Amino acid sequence: MSGQGVSGSLLARIAALSLIVVFFQTGVVSEVPVFGVTVDLSPLLVAFVGLLCGSMVGAVSGFAVGLLVDLALVQTLGLTSLVFTLVGYWCGRLRELRDPQAALTPLLVGAAATSSSLVGYSLMEFMLGVDAPVSLELLRQIVLGVLVNVIVALPMWMLVRRSLIGGLPDDPRRRRRRAYTTGGLSPLSRT
Amino acid sequence: MYDKTVRRRRVVLALLVVLSLILLTAYFGEASGGRLHSVQRGFLTVVSPIQDGANKALKPVRDMFGWLGDTLHAKSQNAQLRKQIATLRREVVAERVDQQSYHQLLSVFHFDNQLSVADYRPVTATVVGKTPNIWYSTVTIDKGTAAGVRVDDPVINGEGLVGRVTLAASDGAQVSLITDSTMGVSARIGSSTATGIVQPKVGDPNDLLLSYLPVGTVAPKGEYVYTSGTVASPDESLYPRGIPIGQVTSTEEESAYESVNVRPLANLRNLDVVQVLTAATGSQPARLSSLVSSLPAGGRSSTETGIAGQLASTGAG
Repeated sequence: MSGQGVSGSLLARIAALSLIVVFFQTGVVSEVPVFGVTVDLSPLLVAFVGLLCGSMVGAVSGFAVGLLVDLALVQTLGLTSLVFTLVGYWCGRLRELRDPQAALTPLLVGAAATSSSLVGYSLMEFMLGVDAPVSLELLRQIVLGVLVNVIVALPMWMLVRRSLIGGLPDDPRRRRRRAYTTGGLSPLSRT
Repeated sequence: MYDKTVRRRRVVLALLVVLSLILLTAYFGEASGGRLHSVQRGFLTVVSPIQDGANKALKPVRDMFGWLGDTLHAKSQNAQLRKQIATLRREVVAERVDQQSYHQLLSVFHFDNQLSVADYRPVTATVVGKTPNIWYSTVTIDKGTAAGVRVDDPVINGEGLVGRVTLAASDGAQVSLITDSTMGVSARIGSSTATGIVQPKVGDPNDLLLSYLPVGTVAPKGEYVYTSGTVASPDESLYPRGIPIGQVTSTEEESAYESVNVRPLANLRNLDVVQVLTAATGSQPARLSSLVSSLPAGGRSSTETGIAGQLASTGAG
């Protein structure tokens, strides 16, 4: 699925989930520091939507979630959208090209999405001239940010999957069974 | 079919990237009263009550996590605080005597019209949102222009200075914390008369640096840093004198100035309730703030600092 099989139900589910996650993030999660940093659920949400729904939906939901984050937190508009669009797209492409089924996939994708968004965000901020040069503290914050996000990646993956699974035209569980019976070959999903 | 899908996917990605870049450029280029900023303010007005409701409903969850963290640190903090109480008790006695003499002297020399927290109308607000990244140190509060909150109003809590209002909608406002890269607060150390500017420490967004102090300024470890009640440039907000900002942790020698590392007193990671120091139109703080903003723009030259500082702190003009 790379966009052509997107139902209204799936879009509504993604929109509702995005709103809930962004408000929960700004109102609660951001107030609870873990090892001196806070968990950031939004890159995980975007990555998992991409991983479940494909690159096109991933990119569009990344853009929308980024815009919502920028609006809710009164940040520079477009900055988070740009970073999350790319994160959502890449995670969607990963699903389309590799269709990873390992149990550790959400952890690895979560870590990659968080580190990409943090590094991408930092690069954009440098380009915009924000006065916070590279330092050990910044590096520490990025590493700890990735670590704490990995801790919550699995529950977040389960939440996103459970929320969206009813709206997905090709249920990942069915895909997995099909992949098993056909020896991993699934030409229909390789779009 | 395959080519069509690939083309469509690429077009969508390119469109979204271009749209993001257009938004970014337009937002960065426009003034704070521009269209995109207005959209953001409108959004803040709409979501602020929702955020407030969600914040209140989910407070027990937040408190539970906070309680766990606090319990872990409580033992070490307890011993440290006991020591601090003993020191402070001795200092309070000495300070009271000094304060009495100070007020007598002020009234003798007719200098008792300095701006203080008592001149403001504090508006209590709840923090309903916080940025999750290290690049923006801002929080969203549930009080806005409807409650008298204006841009540049100082924000404090029970521990000390928190920041200032940088965007105000009718039912919500954005507060830039003192650790935000855009902030700068004129401050002084304890009883010293030398003023400097407190800014976030570059590369360590949770720490502060009191810069531009004259070489030789005495800054003992643990000494408190207060707002000076002056401004160093017209862009800076006028904070009332004597609001505690932080404690000195170490000193750094620079070429022409001395800098002091300051640990903020306010726990900026666990802000729950804050007070916005609002000023009614025509009041002394409002008059002084408009006077400061009308001063000619320029760098932080010592002459301007002196003039603006004098005007602001004495209430002249």
